[in-house]
Amino acid sequence: MKYYIISKIELEGTDSLKYTDVGYTEDIDIVNEINEQYDSTLGKFLGENRTKLELGEISINTFFNDIDSVNEARTEVENVEELNIVHITNLNQL
Amino acid sequence: MAVPTKGNVTNANPTPGANSKTQAHTQNTGNNRLLVVQLTMANTVNYSGVTYGGQAMTQLHSTNRSGLSQRMGFFYLVDPPTGNNNCVISFTGSQWNPISIHIRSFTDCGGIGNYERSGASTTPNTKTLTVSQDDSLIMITSCSTYAIQTQQIPQGTNRTFVTHNTNKQVATGAISADAGHSAGTVSLRATSSQVSISLDRVEIKGLSGGGSSRRRIIIC
Repeated sequence: MKYYIISKIELEGTDSLKYTDVGYTEDIDIVNEINEQYDSTLGKFLGENRTKLELGEISINTFFNDIDSVNEARTEVENVEELNIVHITNLNQL
Repeated sequence: MAVPTKGNVTNANPTPGANSKTQAHTQNTGNNRLLVVQLTMANTVNYSGVTYGGQAMTQLHSTNRSGLSQRMGFFYLVDPPTGNNNCVISFTGSQWNPISIHIRSFTDCGGIGNYERSGASTTPNTKTLTVSQDDSLIMITSCSTYAIQTQQIPQGTNRTFVTHNTNKQVATGAISADAGHSAGTVSLRATSSQVSISLDRVEIKGLSGGGSSRRRIIIC
C-alpha cells in the first residue's frame, strides 16, 4: 500500500521554508488536487524566482505576504503506523 | 549467506527552501540494521551532512555531475535507531531547487559492499558492478535531462523505480529482486528516451555465515 504524506509549508524566520507533516492519504485525487494547488502558487513562485532566491535578490517572505501556508503531497511511504498524523479522506480536513 | 531483508521506504521530492531538509522515516526493528539515503539535487549547493535520529550518517559518495548540473549523494548508517525518526539532510547553503530523496531500511544486512559511479553516457547506459559475496542486493539510480525509461537489475530485468523532478529527471529506488545475486560481475542498464543517462550502483551485502539461501548442486 502506498501512502502520501501531506506537508504544510510555511515561512520560517525571514528567508526559509518550514515543512510540517499534517496528514496522510492514499487517495490520489486528494494528492493531485493538493499538488496542483502547490504548483500554481508556491511552486510557480519558486520556478519564476529560483535564481533571484539563490542570489539573495529577493526573499521567500515575499510570497508569504499574502498567504500563510501551502500544502504539498510529494512524499510517499509504505507504512504510516508510527507517524502519528491524521488520515485525510477529505480536503476539508486540512 | 542470507539476503538482506528489505524494510520501509520513504520517497520525497520537495524543494527545501532552507539549508536543511528534515524527512521523517520509520526504521524497521530487527538485527543487523542498515539505513541508506540516496539523494540528487541541483549542484548550486553541496551536502554538508546527513543525520538520522541524531546520529551522523556515513557519506559513501557525493558526486558532482557538472554536465547535468546535479549533485548526487549516498549516505548510510549501520544499526540506526528503530521506529520513526527524523532524517536531516544539511546543505552548504539554501537549496531552492527540488531534491530527490530515497530512504530505505534493511535488516539482516551485512552493510555496504562495492559501489561504482558513471556519469551520463549515451542511452542505453550499460555498466557492471562486482558483487563481493553471494546474496547481495544492488541499488541503482540515474539522472538524465530526458525521461528515464528503465532501470535494469540485472541487464534485461526491469525493476520498479520512482521518478523525481529536480529540474532534471531522476530515477531512484530501483533494487534487486529479493533473491539477490551471486558473487561476481553483474551487468546493469539504465535507459532514457533520448541522449544520455547516468548510472550509479551500490552493493547491499547479506549476512555472512548465515547459511546460503541459494540451492547449490554438488556433482560427485
